[in-house]
This record gives sequence, C-alpha cells and structure tokens, in this order.
Amino acid sequence: MSTPATRRKLELGRVGESVKRVDAVPKVTGEFAYSSDLFAAGMLWGHTLRSPHAHARILSIDISEAVGLAGVHAVLTHDDVPGDKRYGLEFPDQPVLAFDRVRYFGEPVALVAAEHPEQARRAAAAIKVEYEPLELVVDPELAADQPAIHPQHWTQGHGYRDDPRPNVVRDMRIERGDPDARADVSVEGYYELGIQDQAFLGPESGLAVPDGEGGVDIYVATQWLHVDRDQVAPCLNLSREQVRIHLAGVGGAFGGREDLSMQLHAAMLALHTNRPVKMVYNREESFFGHVHRHPGRIWAEHRANRDGKLVCVRMRILLDGGAYASSSTAVTSNAASFAVGPYAIENALIESTCVYTNNPPCGAMRGFGAVQTCFAAEAQMDKLAAELGMDPVELRLRNALASGDELPTGQKITGSMPVEEVIRRAAAIPVPDPEELPRDPIRLPGGAGNTTRGDGVQRGVGFAVGFKNIGYSEGFDDYTAARVRLFADTDGDLVAEIYCAAAEVGQGVTNVILQTARTELELENVMLAPGTTGEVGSAGSASASRMTWMATGAVQAACRAVRDELDRRGGGLASGDEIDLERIYRHPRTGPLEPETGQITTERAHVSFAAAAMRVVVEVDVDLGLTRVVWIGTAQDVGTAVNPQAVYGQIEGGTAQGLGLALMEEIQTRDGLITNASFTDYLIPTALDMPPVVAELVEHPEPEAPFGVKGVGEPPTVVSTAAVMSAMRAATGRELNRVPVKPDDIVFSGS
Amino acid sequence: MDILRPDSLEAARAALKNGSVALAGGTELVPLLRDRIVEADTIVEIRHAVPRGIQGTRIGAGTTLGELEVDPQIPDALREACRLAASPQLRAMGTIGGNLLQATRCWYWRLKYPCWLHGGGRCFAHEGLHREHAVFANAPCASAHPSDVAAALLALGATVRTDRRELPIAELYRLPTGDDRRMTGLEPGELILELEVPMPAASTYLKAMDRKRFAFALVGVAAARSPEGTRLALAGMAPIPWLLEDESALDEATPLPGNAYKLEIARALIRRALVAVAP
Repeated sequence: MSTPATRRKLELGRVGESVKRVDAVPKVTGEFAYSSDLFAAGMLWGHTLRSPHAHARILSIDISEAVGLAGVHAVLTHDDVPGDKRYGLEFPDQPVLAFDRVRYFGEPVALVAAEHPEQARRAAAAIKVEYEPLELVVDPELAADQPAIHPQHWTQGHGYRDDPRPNVVRDMRIERGDPDARADVSVEGYYELGIQDQAFLGPESGLAVPDGEGGVDIYVATQWLHVDRDQVAPCLNLSREQVRIHLAGVGGAFGGREDLSMQLHAAMLALHTNRPVKMVYNREESFFGHVHRHPGRIWAEHRANRDGKLVCVRMRILLDGGAYASSSTAVTSNAASFAVGPYAIENALIESTCVYTNNPPCGAMRGFGAVQTCFAAEAQMDKLAAELGMDPVELRLRNALASGDELPTGQKITGSMPVEEVIRRAAAIPVPDPEELPRDPIRLPGGAGNTTRGDGVQRGVGFAVGFKNIGYSEGFDDYTAARVRLFADTDGDLVAEIYCAAAEVGQGVTNVILQTARTELELENVMLAPGTTGEVGSAGSASASRMTWMATGAVQAACRAVRDELDRRGGGLASGDEIDLERIYRHPRTGPLEPETGQITTERAHVSFAAAAMRVVVEVDVDLGLTRVVWIGTAQDVGTAVNPQAVYGQIEGGTAQGLGLALMEEIQTRDGLITNASFTDYLIPTALDMPPVVAELVEHPEPEAPFGVKGVGEPPTVVSTAAVMSAMRAATGRELNRVPVKPDDIVFSGS
Repeated sequence: MDILRPDSLEAARAALKNGSVALAGGTELVPLLRDRIVEADTIVEIRHAVPRGIQGTRIGAGTTLGELEVDPQIPDALREACRLAASPQLRAMGTIGGNLLQATRCWYWRLKYPCWLHGGGRCFAHEGLHREHAVFANAPCASAHPSDVAAALLALGATVRTDRRELPIAELYRLPTGDDRRMTGLEPGELILELEVPMPAASTYLKAMDRKRFAFALVGVAAARSPEGTRLALAGMAPIPWLLEDESALDEATPLPGNAYKLEIARALIRRALVAVAP
C-alpha cells in the first residue's frame, strides 16, 4: 500500500498577494468563452418580440403567419408559460411574457425558436400584435398620483412605510434628532441625474438545454445563479432540482444581470422544442434587456456652524423606478441611508421616494443609490465650504465619520471606518503640475478633434468623499455556501476542489476563492469547479460589494472543516479517499428600519461600510465646453486587499464608470421610448477619456470579516461622479447641477 | 437578397437598376440595411468598378479613409477629416465616395418614426430631443449631416466626377423639399468615381465631439485658404454639409431651443480655424 497523500507546500497565492487573474490571459487573447460563444449540436436560435409601445393594452396576438415560416420550430406567447405568469427579483410584478398590457418600451411579448437567427427574427416580425395605447406615466414628478401601472401594489405590505398613492414603489423617511435645527449658515441645492446604463460589453446571452427528463440546464451570464433558478422554476412549473443554472462566461455585469433576461425565455423554447436553444441579444436589445441606474432628482439643504461642523442635513430624493420594481425598494433605502455622506450628523430629515413609470425599468447598478446622493451631497459640501470660506478638504475632515459614531439611522458603527485617513491619504497624493504648451491635442480638451492649442482651457481641481454599505441589508438573510472536496491525486499529492456558486463577473472573485483556499489549506493544488446550482448551495449575488467578503467567509469555513477532518484522519488521505464538506457563511445579521422614522430596529440595518476619497484634475475648454480629465488620485478603505492588483483594477474600472456618468453617459427617452440604444448614440468613455489613476489602499481590517476584508467594487463609482463634477465646477465656475454634463451646459447660458 | 460583384464600371452600371444598391466599404449601408431603412433586393459591390488611389489632386472614390489619412500629399483638412471620421476598423473599410453619401443623423429617422424625412408630416426632433440636430435649414427636417469629409471637401472647393457628369461638391447636395426629400442630386444608379481636390495654401479641420474620439461631430469646422480667399464649411450643423459664407453667416442660423449652444461652439471653432490657416 502506498503512503498517504500529503500537502505539497504552498509557495505562492495566499491572501494578500498580488496574483495574476486566472481569466486575464484568455480574455486579452480572445480565447475566453463568453456566454455568447456557447454552442450545442442541433441547437435552435431564440428571438424575442418586444413592445413598440411604452404603455398599451394588448388586444390580440396573432402568431398564425409566424409559425408557418421556414425554419421556425416554436412561437410562444404568455399562453404558453407553463407555470407562474409573473416573476421578479423581490416582487413578482413582471410578466414572463406580456399579457393584458405592456408597461415599457421593449417589454418581451412573444418568443420564436428557429434554425437560423435571421429566421427567428423574421418570424418575430411576422407576429401580429394589436395594441391600444394607454395614457403614459413618464414624468416622475407626476407619476405617484397617476393611474396605477400596477393596481396590485406589489411592494406594499412588506413592512415599508405605507403610501397609498397609486404609483409609489417605496417612500421612506429617515428622521434624526431635530430636523429643524438651525445653524450659522445654510446652503441649498437641486440636483439631477440621467439614466445610466451598465453598458457591459457582453450582451445578454445563454443556452438552455432540455435534460430529456422534463428539466432544463441553463448556461447563462448572470450574477446570482440560485436566485435565477428560484425565479425560473415556478414559471416553468418545475421543481428547483429540475432547473440547473450554470455560470457561463460573463462579459461584465455591474448590477445589470441581477434580474432575469433571457433565462426563462430560452428555457421555455428549449422545453417546448426539446432542442437546445441559444439566445444572444444585440446591442440595441441589450438596452431593453436589463434594468438601469435610477435617474434622480434631489433637493438638499445643509446647515453648519461657522467652525464647519454640520448641524443638520435635509434632503428629498425622487427616483424613477420605471415599469417594474426590480430592486428599487432597496435602492430607495440606500439612497436615503447614504444621503449625508460619510459625515457625523446629529440632525437630519431624508425623504426618499421611488415611483413606477412607463420609463425603462431601473434597478441595481454599481453604487446602488449611493451614487445619486453622493453627487448631490458632495456638491453641497463644496457649496458649504465656499460659504464658510473654508478649505473643502478641511470641512470634510471636521465632519468625518469614525468608528463609534452613529449614522442618521441610529446605527452605531462598530467596524472599521477610516474616513479621516482616507481623506488625508487622498489629499496628500501630489497633484501633477499643469503640462506645458504646446502639447499633442490628445493631451488637451477636445482630444483627437484638434480643437484647441490651449486657448479657452481652464484647469480645475475637485475633491469628493463617498461611502456605501458592504453586503445585503435591512434584515435580508444573506449567506454564501462553499464546498470543499479534498482528495489524493495519482502522484500522492492532496488536491482540493472548491465548489462555490459565486459569479465571476469580472471582479476577480475566482482568484479570491483560490487564494482563500490556498491560505486556509496551506495547499498549492487548489481548483475551482464551474459554478452551478447543481453542486452547491447559493452564494448570493455578486452585488453590493459583498462577494469577496462572503466567498472568503464560506470558503474559509469549508476549508477549516475539511482541515479538521483531515487532522482527525491523521493528516493524510489514502488514494481513493476523499473529504467532501459544505459550509454556509453568514455575515452579522441586520434588521429592518422602522418605517416611519427610518431608525434601526435591531443593532444594525447595514453590515459594514467602505469609504473612498478622490481628487480630480480637469481641464475644460470653456469656449467649446469640451473636457479633459487630466488626473485622478484616490484613497480607498478596502479592509484587507486579498489580491491588491485586482483591487487597483476595480478602482480604475469603477472610477471610469463614474466618470462616464459625470461626462457623457445617459439613456435618452422620449415618451418612454429609448432613442439612443446603441454605442453610436450612447457614449461611454474610451481609453483616451480616462486619465491615469493613482490609487492608495487604506487597509484597516474589518474586525468581523474573514481576513478583515471589505468589498471594493462600488466605492470608486460612488465617489468619482461627485469628484469629477467638483473639478468641473472649479474649472468653469458654473453650478453644473445635472449629470451627465455636456458641452451645452458649459458654453451656453440661455437654456 | 443577391450580391453582385461586377469587375468593371460598365458591368456595375448595368447591374445598378431598380431595387439594387451600390456597396463600397459597407460601413454605412450595412447598418441601414440591417435596420431596414434602406431596402434592396440586390447589392452591387462596386469595389472593383470604381477607381481607388490618389494621383496628384485626383482621388478615386473607392479610396479608403484609412489610405487617405496617411497620405502626405492631400490637403490637411481632408487628411484630418478622414482620420477623425470613425474608428480604425471603419476607416479601413469605408471609402471617401461612400462617406460623402453618408445618411444624415437623426435618431427619430433611424428609429423609423413616421417623420417628415420618411414622408410624414412632422419633424419629431423639433418638439423632442434635438441637442445633436441642425441649426441651419432645419425647418422641415432638423437632422444633422455628419460627414467630416464632406465639410472638408466643401471648404477645399472639390469637384465630383460621376459616371455621368462633373459637378462642384456643393451641388452634390440638396436640401430636401416637400416633393423630393432626397439629400443628394445623384440620379438613380449614378456612381461617384473621382474627386478633384485643389491644393489650398493652408487648410484645417476641427471637430468638437462629446468624447475625445469616435463620436459624430457636434460641430465640425473646415477652413481652407486659397488665393481667392478663405472658405468655411460645417459638419453636424445642417441636414447637408454646410458651406458658410463667412463667420457672420452664423447669425442666420435658426437654432432650436436645445441646440443654440452649437453656435457658441461654432463661433469659437471658426475663430480658431481661421487662425490656423492664416498666412
């Protein structure tokens, strides 16, 4: 008998080391298999017929011509939904396929499966749907009292503040201290944000394969496999075990893959035809395929004493949730909870309302409500600094939130909250001197357009601070499962296979899992099995900057259980033996907010918080309104960096997304219809628009988190829009209270 | 749908009849076909039927933008316009002849609203979103012509030779009217073969965009100085490439509520363009 297998000593790849991402090389060489690359023998192509109306009654659907076309295998409508006709991430308000009426432009109405994608498209075009347009609800200011888009009031009766108005998704208040408290000075402002799209480069796509026993396997780019399964199964009238969701290569997510897109549709077509069915949205369809960032209108008043100490903050936030609830209730609450920013405050009144409209549905996007209010709150802090004649960084330092302070919800911060250090570190990064003229036009506002040699160019430097929660909140039972299978390979070495359904959405969680397992097991041979609902419990969502913390916790727990079992067996495994254990990790429990006052009802409503501060230098050609973001320096509170190289990447990417919202990204709608559903008309920053980012990691381990980690994906997006706008105001002297800011807002005062 | 690939001009002319469209680089036509804005039962690929290349002041219509932008002999304004017209992939395929026939930009038109340009009665941009739209000649249709290259050629005073005639480039374009809503004067099946581009004393093209590259012009300004004087032309400011008499002609613009800012940009850009081409 051979000697038992033992550990091969771990050389590299522990928590805290910069490790090259396992997907890095295949992604840059083009070999990475994205969900749109999937292929199965004999597969059909699915296509979705979508509503051309933002609000209309469906009078009839006639599929007779479509079913007879060449290559067509199935044409399905709401009549063909085998189970529940509605689904939803939090409230089942969204039809699988529209029945009775459509509520937004691009809503799915019917499905086609055909042998060729063009045959599917043509068949979809041959479906005759008779609509009767209904009154549009598109102005969020008026929406609350207009005729109900959802007479069922799906979001009522869930412990939120009751608002009887027909189209209110959620209405909440946070009231702290004396909201009428007076102070030496007061500044007021009104702010607006347009609709931002996640603009992930890999459009919605996937493959559904019938298993021959009535069930279905769905390979899809998603953020949360198990919640997809839990929504899909009841609509297909299948048990959860009959629906298996497998993670396919994700080309970006940013919140936009939290809700279902083609999962149910492809599965319906696959089960109906008993053939694999592939669906791939094109860019235009992708704009209809997922929820967007809520556009917002925010009024704010900040009161402070001469010494700069904030006395009272009052804010009213109006968010347009679009046609379906998605995660709007949580976004509404987050916008309110982080409205004041990372500042200690004794008196506050924050009112946050989200309404249903016939505009594009909105939900999760990186920053999740905190982006909107950070933009407003930080503009207010700059205004206040000007009013007080105080340095804006100093004003922020004087009010910086710290561990032990209470939030406006009454929650006492028990974990790490190094706001002051984050501000000081960001402010201490040396700002580069202005470059000399003449310069290559690419290093001037206007870029390749060759519009200036330096004339009209004014420089501005801005600063902002932002923060956000890590993990799910308000009593949600948030957990992650991980399973570790330890076995001996033929060389007599121990090998660990990790099962965890955490979605690798580009954020780098694969490496986080591998590094955690290597560290815990002191073992080099560690593999991560493909993510699937079939092999392991839920990992929860790759959202809320939670996945690193949660996956680390679950993998750590499973590894420790396996290690203990190995020790019991004498430290080695004989060939053929294995240890296979699954563990569930939960972060500290949260509780709901009191509906009328927004105060905590348990120790906390949020688990933990992460802050970032950012200084931005811009140059604006004020004659043309064109901008060059010159330089960005930032410091971010990251807890412990598991893979520092990946953290820097997250900071740069998150910053770019906030810069896009500040300067160019906006979905345009007219009467609920999206007019710029293309990358020709919806612009996102290119490499030329993005400056170098100098980032410093502020590492104060979070006491309650495994290895002291925090999440890192969202804080840069929360703060960068505000920081870019601070610099834009400094350069132009204009108020610029709406993002994205366009050349029109800078050169023209007539509007 | 059929695709024909004639190898001579005669064969191409014979192939271009009702129901067919000419395709050169395809960067403009293919998206329009995909969106069913252009309908055709036959595509005639003319790549081997029209001249390609640069000979002195003559430029073959089949020359790609990518070939032009690296040619040191052509006027600066044209070279810059070609370089700025699109991303490298599009410039590698797109031809100068095709670029001149680029469709005007208006998202209502592209989304097939029943607008004036599609034969309807109203311009949706007037009452809707129009920050990118025209400030000149925008009464029946406020779409904005995006061609950087056309603006440069207008300023340079280029001549267009087709398979039927020669005409100044300014006459290639026409403002659409109630009974004829086309934006060029080309006859059905008429092919642009060549451009004659006189060499100016100095020329430039400046383009204001919503990001640092790969975007359509909010305002494009071409200026060319020759012994007869300095000529100005604009992109993104009218439904067709727009020749501007002089800077004061900006006062004749009829901006919509949401796009008067374009005139501010144009004023500053023209000033800078004139400095750039001054002796």
